[in-house]
Amino acid sequence: MTSLTLAPRLDLTQVSDMATAIRAHAGADLVLDAGQVTHLGGLGLQLLAASARHWRAGGHTLTISPRSPAFDEALAIFGVSLDDIQSEEAA
Amino acid sequence: MATDPMAEIRASFFVECEELLESLQDALSEMDEGQHDDETINVVFRAVHSIKGGAGAFGLEALVGFAHRYETVLDELRAGRLAITPEAMKLFFHAADLLQDQVRAARDGGAPPADAETCLQELEALIGGVAPAPEAEEVSDFQPMGLALDFGDLTIEPPAPNQWRVRFTPHDALYASGNEPLHLLRALGELGDCALRCDFERLGTLDGFDPEKALLSWEATITGELTEGEIREVFDFVEDVCDIDILSNEPSQEDGFSDMALPPLDTGFTPSEEITDPLHAAESPAQAVPPEPADSGAEVAAPREVAKEPGATVRVDLDRIDRLVNLVGELVINQAMLAQSVAEAGLAPNSSVMTGLEAFMMLTRDIQDSVMMIRAQPVKPLFQRMARIVREASAAVGKEVRLRTEGEATEVDKTVIERLADPLTHMIRNAVDHGLETPSERRAAGKPEEGVITLTAQHRSGRVIIEIFDDGAGINRPKVREIACRKGLIAEDAVLSDSDIDNLLFLPGFSTASQVSALSGRGVGMDVVRSAIQALGGRISIASEPGKGTRFSISLPLTLAVLDGMVVNVADETLVVPLSSILETATLTAEDIRSLGPETHVVHVRGVFVPLYDLGAELGYRSPKKNYEGDIVLLTAHENGARSALIVDTILEQRQVVIKGLQRSYGHIPGVAAATILGDGQIALILDPADLVQNASGHTRANQLSLAG
Repeated sequence: MTSLTLAPRLDLTQVSDMATAIRAHAGADLVLDAGQVTHLGGLGLQLLAASARHWRAGGHTLTISPRSPAFDEALAIFGVSLDDIQSEEAA
Repeated sequence: MATDPMAEIRASFFVECEELLESLQDALSEMDEGQHDDETINVVFRAVHSIKGGAGAFGLEALVGFAHRYETVLDELRAGRLAITPEAMKLFFHAADLLQDQVRAARDGGAPPADAETCLQELEALIGGVAPAPEAEEVSDFQPMGLALDFGDLTIEPPAPNQWRVRFTPHDALYASGNEPLHLLRALGELGDCALRCDFERLGTLDGFDPEKALLSWEATITGELTEGEIREVFDFVEDVCDIDILSNEPSQEDGFSDMALPPLDTGFTPSEEITDPLHAAESPAQAVPPEPADSGAEVAAPREVAKEPGATVRVDLDRIDRLVNLVGELVINQAMLAQSVAEAGLAPNSSVMTGLEAFMMLTRDIQDSVMMIRAQPVKPLFQRMARIVREASAAVGKEVRLRTEGEATEVDKTVIERLADPLTHMIRNAVDHGLETPSERRAAGKPEEGVITLTAQHRSGRVIIEIFDDGAGINRPKVREIACRKGLIAEDAVLSDSDIDNLLFLPGFSTASQVSALSGRGVGMDVVRSAIQALGGRISIASEPGKGTRFSISLPLTLAVLDGMVVNVADETLVVPLSSILETATLTAEDIRSLGPETHVVHVRGVFVPLYDLGAELGYRSPKKNYEGDIVLLTAHENGARSALIVDTILEQRQVVIKGLQRSYGHIPGVAAATILGDGQIALILDPADLVQNASGHTRANQLSLAG
């Protein structure tokens, strides 16, 4: 399964590049590595959520693993569960 | 250059404070004129709040304490629990003035204003005499008590503890300006027991997804003892780049936003149930659309438009601008030198060098104008200072006075504005103290009790005109005349026109106040005002109509860095005479010159005799000529209306010259205002005709005795 490492700072400075990188993997199962993430901003969150929807629509899985403590903490602050940004659909 | 970063941050905080104080004054003035909308009140609140916030960061406790208590009262105003009365407005203005003093005291290390406590207590009396608040941030401790006493139907803040529903929708600009919902939501969560739900409704898949476009919004339910103000405080700095709807005790509704949200693009999506559970206890849809969101939406939309209006600005150290101004001055001089060399080289007028040089000259002129514009500042802060002077002065003498200002956006050189503050202050005090009558006198004269002082600024033919007029009784001319006689300033039998008498006010040592009042009788007369204006290259005039009022007009140059001058030649010396002081030029004929006494002449110009001065003789370049027939004279006018004719040998040209000060090196030279550098590198003196004539001997004929001796 393909894996893509997320940038440490998922904010305005990185989301455009990240979006391009993620799009390039569309159409297959993907694992996003959030182990390096130190900051997950609002724009980063919506990129992940949109990706999850995209993968779901395409019938593929999108998993985020591993996740840094900072990433999980940000999710909790945003009031978002992992289900919102992952896709469980099996191909 | 300052190297201590903390000192720089501190300095920029105080600069920001000045801007905030300015917007505070603006908004208060708007409120005073009857504009009581939420946004205006918010501007007032925000200004005080931001000063408090910044002061807290620097540990300026006195300032924080004052701003906090002021803010507490303003918060009541903002919540609509405090009525805007004229008395309350006066207190708000006074508190704003004192806040300014506090800021200055904090900046310069001076003592804070003495009457701050009194003012604060009066302010707090407005909201029902809250016991003096602690200096620290303990707002929540006493505020709910005040709320509980109030009528719940008018307020949107019911008694605590309560439940708040906050809907937060960032705009694209929030992200673009580097703000982060994560931090805001974290701060929100710290306010109390907070349940948060992220709304993905507007989000689609990656098809057509713009990663920098804000598509998420959040809805929080917070339970705890807190006020709407505390929630808004979290969003204080992003208010203009997001929508915030705050509702109290209104349970969340799924249907609440489905009407404004896009239909879900992906049916597979489910909101995170475990977090949003408490919000999902759905009520009837009718209840779910409260009236507030529309109102708050509009309220938030307004500041956004206002905020964008001023445009982007850069704060630049004044030294750097001065350096730039100097360099441009050098450029102008250099360009003139180049032009001269090219002319001397005898090139054809249509050669490419000449046309290129012409374009260069135009560019230089444009650069110079642009640089001068950087130094120009609106007179508004100056006028606001005057508003304060009016408030204080009128309170001191028990008169009701309103200051009306016009043309606040008029831009004038920064130096001019700075040096105008003292003379204007004095004139405003004079207008309040002497110009306007007491309320009872005004009533007797059939005027409204409230006197009006109008302060205006406008550009007129390359100069700035500042006028101060009051609607008072006008100048009491018999009294002025009597005082002038008593003080020996004029002869008993002098024949004076009305305007002559008005101008007596400018004589040194003249004071009309029968007794010296604390306000304006400080031994500083209008003569000091006049010399201050003259030092700026300005003129001041006075006009008065009995029963209607008095009007002072000040005419000032736009800048102190360049000057339009007439370049003349006298006894082989090149001199510059300011164009603003020249009325006309003429060639003398034998009939024009009349003798007056053994050594002096007058010139007959259009039925008036004007004293004749030989510049060459006055400046000591040569002795008076035997005959001036055929010579050229410059007819100059002075501030007091007097005229004089100055003899020059030739007029070379009219041009803009860069002013180079001499005072620092040579002190004051009688008759000389400054110097400049001409195109050929030669230094030319810039004359001050008024000063020159005052010190002139007027000798235009060689004294037979001195020649013999």
